[in-house]
Amino acid sequence: MRIVPIIVISALLSSGHALAHHSFSAEFDSEKPITLSGKITRMQWSNPHGWIYIDVANEDGTVTNWALETRAANSLIRRGWRRDDLPAGTPIVVNGFEARNGTPTANIQSITLEDGRNFMSGNADEVPD
Amino acid sequence: MTIRLFSLALALLGCFPLAGMAQDIPRSANGTPDMQGIWQAQTQSAVNLEDHVARVDVHAGQSVVAGGSIPYQDWALARRQENFANRGELDPLNKCFLPGTPRIMAMPWPFQIFQTDKHVAITFEWTQVYRLIYTAGQEPLYPGFEHWMGDSRGRWEGDTLVVEIRDLNDRTWMDAAGNFHSAAAVITERYTLQNANTIRYQATIDDPEVFTEPWTISYPLARQSELTRLLEYQCQAEVEEANGEFEPEENLWYPAPVPEENFPFDTQASTSLRLPDVPADIERRNGGNPDISGYFMSSPSGANYGLEKRENFDIFPPAGGVVVDPIDGVLPYQTWARQEMLERREPWRGYDDPTAHCFVAGIPRSHYVPSPFYILQPPGYVIILHERMSYRVIPLDGREHLPDSIRLWMGDAVGHWEGDTLVVESSNYNGKAWLNELGDVTSHAQTVVETYTPVSDNQIIYRATVSDPIAYSRPWTIEMPLNQAQEELLEVACLEDNNDLPHLKDVRDEHRASLNQEN
Repeated sequence: MRIVPIIVISALLSSGHALAHHSFSAEFDSEKPITLSGKITRMQWSNPHGWIYIDVANEDGTVTNWALETRAANSLIRRGWRRDDLPAGTPIVVNGFEARNGTPTANIQSITLEDGRNFMSGNADEVPD
Repeated sequence: MTIRLFSLALALLGCFPLAGMAQDIPRSANGTPDMQGIWQAQTQSAVNLEDHVARVDVHAGQSVVAGGSIPYQDWALARRQENFANRGELDPLNKCFLPGTPRIMAMPWPFQIFQTDKHVAITFEWTQVYRLIYTAGQEPLYPGFEHWMGDSRGRWEGDTLVVEIRDLNDRTWMDAAGNFHSAAAVITERYTLQNANTIRYQATIDDPEVFTEPWTISYPLARQSELTRLLEYQCQAEVEEANGEFEPEENLWYPAPVPEENFPFDTQASTSLRLPDVPADIERRNGGNPDISGYFMSSPSGANYGLEKRENFDIFPPAGGVVVDPIDGVLPYQTWARQEMLERREPWRGYDDPTAHCFVAGIPRSHYVPSPFYILQPPGYVIILHERMSYRVIPLDGREHLPDSIRLWMGDAVGHWEGDTLVVESSNYNGKAWLNELGDVTSHAQTVVETYTPVSDNQIIYRATVSDPIAYSRPWTIEMPLNQAQEELLEVACLEDNNDLPHLKDVRDEHRASLNQEN
């Protein structure tokens, strides 16, 4: 591996860094911050955004599968992340903003893994998304 | 006489040092065959690699597969037949997805080949797709990550360019008949210049998961001598304009007139900006113009979220802005155009941003999308390959611009060197691009003068002066550094996994429904 994954303790809500393909406010609502915790069911390594899907337990006992928008796969790859880093079943805690259209979708501002690694640190203007 | 003949023989050997080389083909300065130019495949195999009869709007054609048919494993042949039966629905190209390689080579659109000592680049008229082929033994930085177009590494074997393509995904077809390969496929292409106007193209497909043995296709590529440049066919943009999903902005798209209520456009109002100094020891190409080739990423100060200086906007932090002229950093908008920009910031207008649909970003936006790009300096050109799958071809021969009636997303660029600065003048825009996600406005009337000034061996100062008499009252200039890194381009397949657009459409449709309710 050429680049070692950056280990940073949660640099939260720093900027609109997951964007660069569509207007943030056209899809997500900055008035609706959300914290979700659950296990990864699937990771889609795609551009212009990657997507992480997690199962989140609701208070009524049901489970909702949330779609979480990440940086572009290319950006994650250049930051040293690899497919094996986020296998299905991995527990994560996510901070982000909910989608405006009411679907279980959120833009991710930070993801914290159990080992303290943060998935989304940094500034998008310096690293391509 | 004997001595003279001997000298002549030596001279010929000097020109063509390898035995068996064709002697009537153009050659690059380094002796390799010179394939630079515009080409198009002479084949009907984009429809079907194997023998096929005519259908409505489809030419008949004979197989380009050596031996006639593709050696499928039984299960794979059954899948191919199923693909064929459902091709209207299943063919990825019908969704304007990246065609993959080698399919792109056979499609009925021209493409342009560029050569440097370390790269071969192929730019395609179809949807601004390009291929960057590393030919100097560069090892891939990110092996194992799949691409629609694959990862191409080339080498010269005598007079043949041999290109090995790996890391292909399994989502493309190889023609419109449902022929396919798996992600295990390794494709070896061979480009052989047979005469000045013909390349023999061969590709061997080795995929033990799908086929019983490797197999080879072959067809000629014909030089398109009458074409001076590629134009554009933006597949998905054409589809969405035709079906109404991408709505025209009649006051900005070609051929919108300059509004009568506009302030007069003051062409002379620009501030005189001195170009940055270029160090005397800047890296140069053969002692001539500066070497500005390589991988670059701009440091755009949030330009994609607004060109002007701003305080907080939504979740965006304050930004210094990139406007250096006017010196107050404020864009000299016409009053109505600033209103249009402010309206575009509303959530329900986000759907209208062309890049949200994965259309190309235009100029100057492509420099600060933000997404990296690769500059190459082949003979007679500078070309810029944008990771967000678009490119610019900038000829340096002082040619005239295209006729006014031909309009392009990326414009028509012509460049020249002024001292150690590359100056690029462009026009013929179609006015469909936005300048960023917050909707800074541009129209088809914009002409752009860009300067690329190398200020060190790893930084270029980029400026773009935009003159747009429809949306602005005077020319304005932005500036940002472009920073070089020892990196490679990856591929951005945008449309293929664009989960966002339905969300943006929901927000727009909900807004429109609420307006209808009010009425």
